[in-house]
Amino acid sequence: MHHLLLFNIIDQIRALGWGGAFTLLRNGIVLGSLYSLIALGYTMVYGILKLLNFAHGDVFMIGTFMGYGVLIAFGGALAPTIPFIPLILLMFAVSMAGSGVVGVGIERFAYRPLRNAPRIAPLISALGVAFFLENSAQLLTNSAHELYNGYALGGKNGNFGPLLNPVFTIDQVPVTVIMVIVVLTAIALMAALVLIVYRTKLGKAMRATSFDREAASMMGIDTDRVISMTFFIGSVLAGAAGVMYGLYIGDAYFFIGFLFGLKAFTAAVVGGIGSLPGAMLGGVLIGVVEAFATGYAGGQWSEIVVFGILILFLLVRPTGLLGSPAIQKV
Amino acid sequence: MSDASDTPGVPEPPPEPEAPEAEPGSRIGIDSWVAEADQRRARGRGPLGLAAWGWESAPDSTKLLAFVAIAASLPFWLLKSEGDLFNFGLFTLIFVGLGLGLQVVVGLAGLLDLGYVAFYGIGAYAYALLSSGYYGHHWPAEATLPIAMGAAVIPAAILGFAARRLLGDYLAIVTLFFAQAFLVFTNVTNPTLFGKGITGGANGIPNLDPLTFFGYKLTSTKQLYFFTLGTVVVVAAAIYLANQSRIGRAWRASREDPLAAEVMSIPVNRLKILAFIFGSAVAGLLGAIYAAVSTAAVSTNFNIGVLIILYAIVILGGFGSIAGVFVGAIVINVSFEFLEPQTDYPSFKRWLFYGLIIFVIARLKPWYRAAVILAGTVGFGFAVHAVVAAMAGHAWTTGKPISGAGWLTHWVVIPRLNHGNFDNFLYIGLVLAVMLVASLKGWWRTIALAPTLYLTALVWENVLVTSPGVTALILFGVMLIVLMAIRPQGLLGTSRVEIV
Amino acid sequence: MAEPARKALLELKDLSMSFGGLKVIDGLDLTVNGREVVSVIGPNGAGKTTLFNLITGIYRPDAGEILLEGGSLVGLPPYKITQRGVARTFQTLRLFLNMSVIENVMASQYGRTKVDIVRAMLRTPGMRREEREIRRFAEEKLSFFGQRLMGYRWNQPAYSLSYANRRRLEIARAMATDPKILLLDEPAAGMNPVETHEITELIGQLRDEGGFTILLIEHDMHVVEGISDRVIALDHGVKISEGSFEQVATDPRVVEAYLGTKATVTK
Ligand SMILES: Nc1ncnc2c1ncn2[C@@H]1O[C@H](COP(=O)(O)OP(=O)(O)OP(=O)(O)O)[C@@H](O)[C@H]1O
Ligand SMILES: [Mg+2]
Repeated sequence: MHHLLLFNIIDQIRALGWGGAFTLLRNGIVLGSLYSLIALGYTMVYGILKLLNFAHGDVFMIGTFMGYGVLIAFGGALAPTIPFIPLILLMFAVSMAGSGVVGVGIERFAYRPLRNAPRIAPLISALGVAFFLENSAQLLTNSAHELYNGYALGGKNGNFGPLLNPVFTIDQVPVTVIMVIVVLTAIALMAALVLIVYRTKLGKAMRATSFDREAASMMGIDTDRVISMTFFIGSVLAGAAGVMYGLYIGDAYFFIGFLFGLKAFTAAVVGGIGSLPGAMLGGVLIGVVEAFATGYAGGQWSEIVVFGILILFLLVRPTGLLGSPAIQKV
Repeated sequence: MSDASDTPGVPEPPPEPEAPEAEPGSRIGIDSWVAEADQRRARGRGPLGLAAWGWESAPDSTKLLAFVAIAASLPFWLLKSEGDLFNFGLFTLIFVGLGLGLQVVVGLAGLLDLGYVAFYGIGAYAYALLSSGYYGHHWPAEATLPIAMGAAVIPAAILGFAARRLLGDYLAIVTLFFAQAFLVFTNVTNPTLFGKGITGGANGIPNLDPLTFFGYKLTSTKQLYFFTLGTVVVVAAAIYLANQSRIGRAWRASREDPLAAEVMSIPVNRLKILAFIFGSAVAGLLGAIYAAVSTAAVSTNFNIGVLIILYAIVILGGFGSIAGVFVGAIVINVSFEFLEPQTDYPSFKRWLFYGLIIFVIARLKPWYRAAVILAGTVGFGFAVHAVVAAMAGHAWTTGKPISGAGWLTHWVVIPRLNHGNFDNFLYIGLVLAVMLVASLKGWWRTIALAPTLYLTALVWENVLVTSPGVTALILFGVMLIVLMAIRPQGLLGTSRVEIV
Repeated sequence: MAEPARKALLELKDLSMSFGGLKVIDGLDLTVNGREVVSVIGPNGAGKTTLFNLITGIYRPDAGEILLEGGSLVGLPPYKITQRGVARTFQTLRLFLNMSVIENVMASQYGRTKVDIVRAMLRTPGMRREEREIRRFAEEKLSFFGQRLMGYRWNQPAYSLSYANRRRLEIARAMATDPKILLLDEPAAGMNPVETHEITELIGQLRDEGGFTILLIEHDMHVVEGISDRVIALDHGVKISEGSFEQVATDPRVVEAYLGTKATVTK
């Protein structure tokens, strides 16, 4: 009866036991932190422009390639020409700044001309941008999986470096340095974002613009600049996620923008699109669901399970976990 | 065939416009519609103008008949070879049919359906499972075609109801994910049923039966072509008639302003789901035909790339325009066939490319600006070529362009060997240059245009020509962005489209 | 123009609605009888449009009842409310701009017609008959405005209409839903004095010849005075006065709401 999925799953749960469950939970949380970072970009842009920015996943993909580019420029992970901590910091810096610029460029050239266009126009433009970026990346990289080999960073002569050392172990399940880096960086960046949005003048302008763009611009807010900054910040987060993806999962590939972006997007919807805490929560939730689906049902089912969760949420709670229903003013 | 806003069957022709309260000679107080009446009536001169006028004033049924007559004659003169009829004729028709279904969803009902290809794929797999040796079912087409439509409709109904409360925005993400889940399901998941992977995995399901109606097999390309032509005409007529009924008016009203439509007694969500299902049924039908025609169902034929091509067709033809779908499908499929890697029209590709550039330049006004740009581009090319040859050596300039065209070697820099990331820098440089040109104004733009055009030629010869498949997709992506920026209603569309 | 009391057509009971902390409609009671023109006046932001949004189901009231001929409308989706017999125009003009004038008026007959998509595609005789009837009904509604929306204008897109004609088309479109009660949100806004006079007469005709009941929001006191059987004044969502135009216009509370205590209403 091995073809019956349900029995498969039950077998797997028995076979993996508690340790297995914890491993999956750990994987899910780390993966989910990455989803959260990307989901924030989707949610911020949606909040301010009511635009589903399909191209955001591809900004993340470009981020992974930028991190890879820096790595290669300094000899690659197997034979780096500078110590590994500054190298990783440099990868973050370049990828975050570079992705930010790409995001601003996309907004400036693909979306800004459409500010007053019918609603469907920027959506189709976004589709075009996503498609352009993805296929450009395919063209420029010859569809190669560019390996980070992050495990070797800091190691001698291509041996394992400190990134895979366990920081602590729970029930024999190790939590490694790179996992801690991913989760802590994600938390730190989200905290910074929350500070920006709720404690600075720019954040106030962002919230005002997202509430009512016209009124905000009449109050003297340069809404174009605010929108640019929103894209910049969202893309910076995606760039950081890109480097961490490379270091943790291992490679840069032109198609991950679509796949990973789609799941992050789902995270934003499940969390309640437009809500920052919702995006964070949704990201972790989707990460955990995916990890468990992979562990118990097999990797070939993970996307289908996540899709099922999306449908379920739309049926049961269409506004997402933390979203609030919008009232249209007539 | 005509735009959505046309109403046929108006009993009397509209009487001559007369401005009600205007004094003679005064234009104040006249609607722009009346003021522009002369302009609308004035027709362009020459045969082109005559043709345009004839097209405008012909009734819709005549237009469809004209299309059928021309399409039916094609196998006897323009597309005589089997291969040409297959690639240019049959596939164009399939794209027309797919575009029509998508037009209902996107153009009439205003829904952003990104899962359309999945319904197309479902139709194909339904046909493959029921009419092939895979499971040993050899059902006839009169049974499998309706089943394929049904198989596409059921998931569409479920998705539509799931996203019903927030049809606008969420439908896009739900359907996009559905398309991806479909690809993963067919390609990777491929669960076992009756001892076999149900979708055949990455290889798909091969060796499908030919379309067989009541024992009569359609095997030759010509038979398939005429069958598909008939199907497409029926689909077009059905959509046209639906559009001219209360349902079509309700679709367009919901597209224009869903809230006002709802207050005007139209159950907007129900109608949107109806449009979504209707489109999916058309996709399922075309999927089954496509599977039979290509004798296989393989999931890569239903990926996001195909979706973008379909959107390009609908947008090129104009939102809401049924006739536009025909034009869009012909333009896109023919140019795509030329760009396809396996077809061998490289010199044609090149002519198309340079012809297009010169056409665009030639349309610039005033004429001397066009002349400056053209001369500048040519001169700039020779200059760069000379400088590179002198400074970097001949290895950088003596590469051969793909497939002949020796005259280019003195103008375009083509390195003989692969020089590291030369290609990539060129490409990224071009993207930046185009952005620069787009943000410059006046003469600065003219000046920047010459090097940019030369860079375009460099990228074309060095990068794009070598991977035509990806190039075509990149160009479609760019086309969507540019079209939305300059004509959001689509190239040939007339109506403005509001609100998703 | 006081009419003898007739059967109540529309009844609002203790209706309340707030946005966030802001009470926009506060414990409102209102009765509209058949074949009556009732005007709602009040300063900007008084909650007049919100009242229409509540009746037509765009917003759901926090508390209270809305009854049409005794049946509750609360919780019904807008299209069902319209099918029950409530039609409205929009203050901000929400025409189907890319559709032709006559199609606008044909589209809003969706609720009173039946042909399904299959019969539409087959062009059955029943479908053709219904289509003819839809067109005839639309032409009838458009002809209500005399020459304004006639003839060649039928086939022009709605976006090409002037502002005043758009207001007229909004009314025609609402009439085509075949309602019992028409809610008109500032029908005279943006019209010149001649047109305002014309629309005033027209609203009177709608009641007298068309047999409609009308609930009207209007800032132009000439219009309100000209046709109202009864006037309601709203301020901050509360009904501050009700009665004939003279009574309401001279009510000190109304004067205060509009102009502050010292001034008096001038027409
Ligand atoms: N969707 C909404 N969200 C928040 N506040 C709203 C909403 N709709 C209306 N309001 C507020 O409710 C109050 C009443 O608005 P409403 O549009 O009903 O006023 P009105 O009487 O029609 O005014 P006017 O004469 O200017 O048309 C206003 O303060 C308005 O800002
Ligand atoms: Mg109002």
